[in-house]
Amino acid sequence: MKFSYNWIRELVEDLDCSPAALEKLITMKTAECEGIERSGELLERACAARVESVEPIPGSHNVKAAVDAGRYGRVTVVCGAPNCRVGIVTAYAPVGKKVIDGIESDGMLASGAELGVNRDHAGIIEIDSQVGAPLAGCLPDSVLEIDNKSITHRPDLWGHLGMAREVAAILGRKLKDPVRLDLLPEGPAAVDIQIEDLTLCPRYSALVFDNVTVRPSPLWLQSRMTAIGLNPINNIVDMTNFIMAELAQPMHAFDADLLHGDTIFIRPAAPGERYVALNDEEYTLNPANLVIADAAGAIALGGVIGGQRSAIGEKTRRVVLESANFQASSIRKTSSAIKLRTDASMRFEKAQDPANTIRGLARAIELLHEIAPGMRLVGGVADQMREIPPPPPIRLPLDWLERKLGRSIEPAEVRRILESLEFGVAQPEPRVFSVTVPSWRATKDVSIKDDLVEEVGRMVGYDSIAPTAPLVAAAVPPGNPERAFQHQVRGIFADQGFTEVYNYSFIGEEDARAFGFDPAAHVRVSNPIASDQVLLRMSLLPGIRKNILENSKHRESFRLFEIGVEIHRRAEGLPDEIPHLMAVLYDRQGDGAAGLAEIRRAAECLMPGAQASPAEARPYEHPVRSAAILWRGETVGRAFELHPSLVESGRAAVLDLDLRLVRALSAGDLKYAPIRRYPSSAFDLSVVAAPRECVGDLQSAMASFAGPLLDSIEFVRQYSGPPLEAGQKSVSFRLTVGSPERTLSSEEAGEIRARIIDGMRARGYELRL
Amino acid sequence: MLEESIQELESGSLARIASATSLEDLETVRVQVLGRKGALDQFFKQMGKLAPDERARAGKVLNGAKQTLEAALESAKRQFAEAALRIRLDGEWLDPSIPAPGPRRGHLHPITHIQRELEEVFRSLGFAVLDGPEVETEYRNFDALNIPADHPARDAQDTFWLANGDLLRTHTSPVQVRGMERLGPPLRMIAPGRVFRNESVDASHEHTFYQIEGMMIDRGVSVAHLLYFMRIMLAEVFRREVNVRLRPGFFPFVEPGFELDIQCLLCNGAGCPVCKQSGWVEQLGCGMVHPNVLRMSGIDPEEWSGFAFGLGLTRLVMMRYAIDDIRHLQGGDLRFLEQF
Repeated sequence: MKFSYNWIRELVEDLDCSPAALEKLITMKTAECEGIERSGELLERACAARVESVEPIPGSHNVKAAVDAGRYGRVTVVCGAPNCRVGIVTAYAPVGKKVIDGIESDGMLASGAELGVNRDHAGIIEIDSQVGAPLAGCLPDSVLEIDNKSITHRPDLWGHLGMAREVAAILGRKLKDPVRLDLLPEGPAAVDIQIEDLTLCPRYSALVFDNVTVRPSPLWLQSRMTAIGLNPINNIVDMTNFIMAELAQPMHAFDADLLHGDTIFIRPAAPGERYVALNDEEYTLNPANLVIADAAGAIALGGVIGGQRSAIGEKTRRVVLESANFQASSIRKTSSAIKLRTDASMRFEKAQDPANTIRGLARAIELLHEIAPGMRLVGGVADQMREIPPPPPIRLPLDWLERKLGRSIEPAEVRRILESLEFGVAQPEPRVFSVTVPSWRATKDVSIKDDLVEEVGRMVGYDSIAPTAPLVAAAVPPGNPERAFQHQVRGIFADQGFTEVYNYSFIGEEDARAFGFDPAAHVRVSNPIASDQVLLRMSLLPGIRKNILENSKHRESFRLFEIGVEIHRRAEGLPDEIPHLMAVLYDRQGDGAAGLAEIRRAAECLMPGAQASPAEARPYEHPVRSAAILWRGETVGRAFELHPSLVESGRAAVLDLDLRLVRALSAGDLKYAPIRRYPSSAFDLSVVAAPRECVGDLQSAMASFAGPLLDSIEFVRQYSGPPLEAGQKSVSFRLTVGSPERTLSSEEAGEIRARIIDGMRARGYELRL
Repeated sequence: MLEESIQELESGSLARIASATSLEDLETVRVQVLGRKGALDQFFKQMGKLAPDERARAGKVLNGAKQTLEAALESAKRQFAEAALRIRLDGEWLDPSIPAPGPRRGHLHPITHIQRELEEVFRSLGFAVLDGPEVETEYRNFDALNIPADHPARDAQDTFWLANGDLLRTHTSPVQVRGMERLGPPLRMIAPGRVFRNESVDASHEHTFYQIEGMMIDRGVSVAHLLYFMRIMLAEVFRREVNVRLRPGFFPFVEPGFELDIQCLLCNGAGCPVCKQSGWVEQLGCGMVHPNVLRMSGIDPEEWSGFAFGLGLTRLVMMRYAIDDIRHLQGGDLRFLEQF
C-alpha cells in the first residue's frame, strides 16, 4: 500500500517531520515501511507556458518551439510531442540546456506522465492556467511503501486517514478529520435498498446525484492518484478511488440511467448466473458469491468489482453512488474463487468498519461539488444496515499491563497513548482502565486486553524495554532420546566416511513405479507443485538413487547417507512417520562385493554384532545380493546392492535401517562381566561345503554343537580349488573354548572338538582335519 | 717389569679396539686379551710368583687394565650396534606426503550443523527439544494457532494439502501445540524441523525448508524476557554480541507480535547494501503467545503467559555460510556438501 506524504500532511496538523524520519517512526511503531519513492519531481519548478511559434526541423520529427515560460522568460525548446502547436498552454520545466537536432533546447515541455500528474505520455499536457503559474494543487511528493502483510490485521490502515491517525499519535499532533457528516442530505432516498442477508452485507448506503458531467479530473486529483499508483480515469471514478485511498472505504458509482428499476438488491448470485465485469471478463457465478443487482440482474460483484452494464461513461448524467460494507470472509472466498483481487476486495477482506459507509458518502458530496460542478443531490441517503452493538469495553489492569511488557509505565502515559489513538479511557477502580474501542479498530483487530498491550507497547517504544532474565526454577529439560540417537547415528556414519544429504519428502508416480512401489499405497498431495512431487515418500531410496546418479557423473566412488522419515498411510489418523537411515557406497570400479562388505562393516559400527542373512530380493535389489540385517534378535533393515539396471555406471551398496527399531534395541543398561581368570585353548576346524552355503549358517551350526564352554568362534578364511573337488569350498574357523571357573584339560577341549566334528558329520559335512 | 708389560698390553689393545672395523675384530681382541687363556689371564697366572707387596701393586695395575679394556670393548660394541641400527632404520625411509589410504571422515549437512548448535544453546538454557510430524492436521497447523478457516494469514502460507484434509505443516508452530498438550506449563521448548510451502523453487525460494520454533510459558513471562532470550540466542548464533530491536509485526498466534531485527553485522548499523542502508536486518518473528492459543491447549491465560518465536533455520544457514542458492541444500551434490 502506497501512502502519499502530502496527503498525510493534509490530515495531520503541523506535521514537521521529514518523510525519511516518518518512515522510521512508522516502521518502529506501526507497520513495516519498505521504502520511499519520490513522485513528480519536475513539479517543483514547472509552470504553465504558452507555445508562441512552431518551426519544423528538417530531417526530424521534432519541432522547434518558441515558448513564453512566464517567470523563466521566452525560451526555445525542441519538442517531439505531436500536439505541440501554436497557442497551446502546457507545462514548462527548466531542466537545463541541451543540444537536440543541432538546436539548443532550453528546458522541456512536459507530458502528464513526465510530470507525474497522470500516465499520459502521448503528448505534452494541455492545461488551463495563467502563463507562469505553477500547476495548481500539484506538488512533488514522497510516497511511502508499506508492506501489505504488516497491515493485514489493520483495516483502518488501508486508507490515509488511518495512517495519519497513527502519525498524529506518534508525534503528539492533532488529526484533521476530512469528513463533514453535516453535508449528508435529509429526507427520503431516491433508491431502495434490499439486503437479503445482513450477515454477508451488514450495511449498504447509497446516494443519487444528478446533472453530473463526466470528464477528466482536475490535475491535483490526477496527480494524487498517480502518486499512489492508481490510474486516473475520470472525475467520478477518481473520486471513488480517492475516498477509498483516504478513508479505506471502497465505493462504486453506477450510471443510474442504465439501471432497471429503483431498487438495489444485495443477494447471493443465482446458480450459473453470468456477469460481465468492468475488466471485460465474464464470470459464471454461484450462490456463494454476493451480487449487487437491479431488476434485470447483477450489476456488481459485491465488494470485488463493478459491472460493465452500468459502468460510468461520457454520457453519464445520473449516478448512484454505493458505499457498502461486506463480510470479510465472504469477499475473500469470492475473490479467491474467481482469482481476482481488487483494491476493493483487498480492503473488505480485512473487515472494514460499517460506520464508515456514510462517512464515505459525506466525503463524496464535498468532492463532487468541486470536481463535478453543477451536480445536484437527489433525495436523502439510502441506508440499510444490521444492528451493530458497540463492542464491550475492555478491562485493562495496569499492573497486568506492566507485567506483560516487563517495564513500568505511568497511568497518565497509558491514557495519553490510548486516547491519541481515539480509544475511550475510563477508570472504574484504582489502577484499572476501562477501554472503549473505536469502531474502525473493533471489527476484528482489537477485542481483548492483550491487543491493548500492543497499542501501549509500540507507542512507548519496545526499545524502552530492558532485556531481563526471568526468575525460573533451574531444571533439566525433558530429553529427546530419538533425536539424540539420530544425531549419534549421523556422527557414526560421518566418521565412517559417509556424507549427509537431505532429500525432498516428495516423489513422483514414475519414481514409485521405477522401484516397484505401488503409487496408490502412498499418501498423495492434492495440490502438488510438479508431477514429480505428487506422493510422500515411503522409502528414502528414490531420492538416494538420484543422488547416486548425479554424483556418479563427477566421482569415481563416494559414500553418502540420509536420515529422514518414511511416510506410511494408516487406516485413520495421521500417517506413520518412521525414521530411517539410508547409506550408500558407490564405486565405478569393481564387482560390488567390497562395497557390500564395507557397508555391513559400517552397520556394525552402529550395531556391534549385527548379522546379515540372505533375503529374498525386492525388485530394486540385485537378485542375489540382498540381505536382512539382524540385530539382537530382530530384523532392523536390509543391506543390498542396488539393482544394476537402476545404476548402470557402477555398483551401489545400500544400507537401509529402521532407526526406531535400532534405537529401541540400543537402549538398556550395560553390566560389567568379570574378566576370565583361567586360560582358554584354541583350535581350528575347516568344513567342506557347497559354494552358496553361508558362512554364518555353518558357524552357528558349529556353535550349537560346541556347548556352553565355547568362548568364541571366528571365521578365518574360505578356499576353493585343488585338492577340493569342483563345486566345493572349505571354510575355516578358529574356535576358543574355556571356563570361567577352571582351566580346561586337553581332554575336555578335545571332547568339545570331537563333538563338533561328529555333529557336523551327522549333518553331512566333511571336515578337513 | 711386569707392570710395564701390562701397560704395554693395555695400550696396544686399546689401539686395536680403536682401529677395529667390525664386531668380529672386537671379538678377536676380546678373546685374545680378555678371554680365558687370553693375554691378561697369562699375567694373572704370573701373579702368584710375586712378592706380596709387589703382587698388590701389580694386581692393581692388572685389574685396572682389565676394567679399562672391558669398558672400551663395551663402548666400541655399542657404537657398532648403534651404527648398525642407524643404517637399518635409514633404510626404512617412508614418504610421508603420500596420502593415507582408507575413507576420509564424511560431512554433516550444513543444516544439521547449525541446528545442533541451536539445540545445544537452548538445552543449556533449559529448553526441551521437541519433534512433530511432517504431516499435520489442519487443526494443529492453523486452528489451534488462532488462524481460523477464513483468516487471510492462511493465504500467506501456501499449503500443500493431502487428500484427506491433512496437510504438510507450513511452519514448526504445530509443535508448540504438541508441546503444550504433552508437557503443559511451565514449559520451555524449541522445535527444529522441516516445513513446506507450495511455491516454485528458485535461487531464493524453496517449497521445503527448515525452521526453529521456540516457546516459553511460565508465570509472568514478559516482553523483557523475550528480548533477553532472543539476544542470548542470536549472540550464540553469530558468535558475538548483537543489538536487537522489536517492531510491530503481525502473526495470528501471538499478541502483541513483533518483527525482530538485528543490527547489521557487516556495517554495525552504519548502513550498507546488505541492510539496504537501514542499519538493521530482519531476523525473526516473535511475540507473546495469544491467549486463544493458550486456551485451546488447555492453559489458563490468566495464570500463565509466554513468548514464542520462529526462526528461519535455512536462512540462517545461508547467512552463516554465505550460500547464495537455496537449491544447493537439497540438491545432494557432494561437491557442495563436502565443504561443511
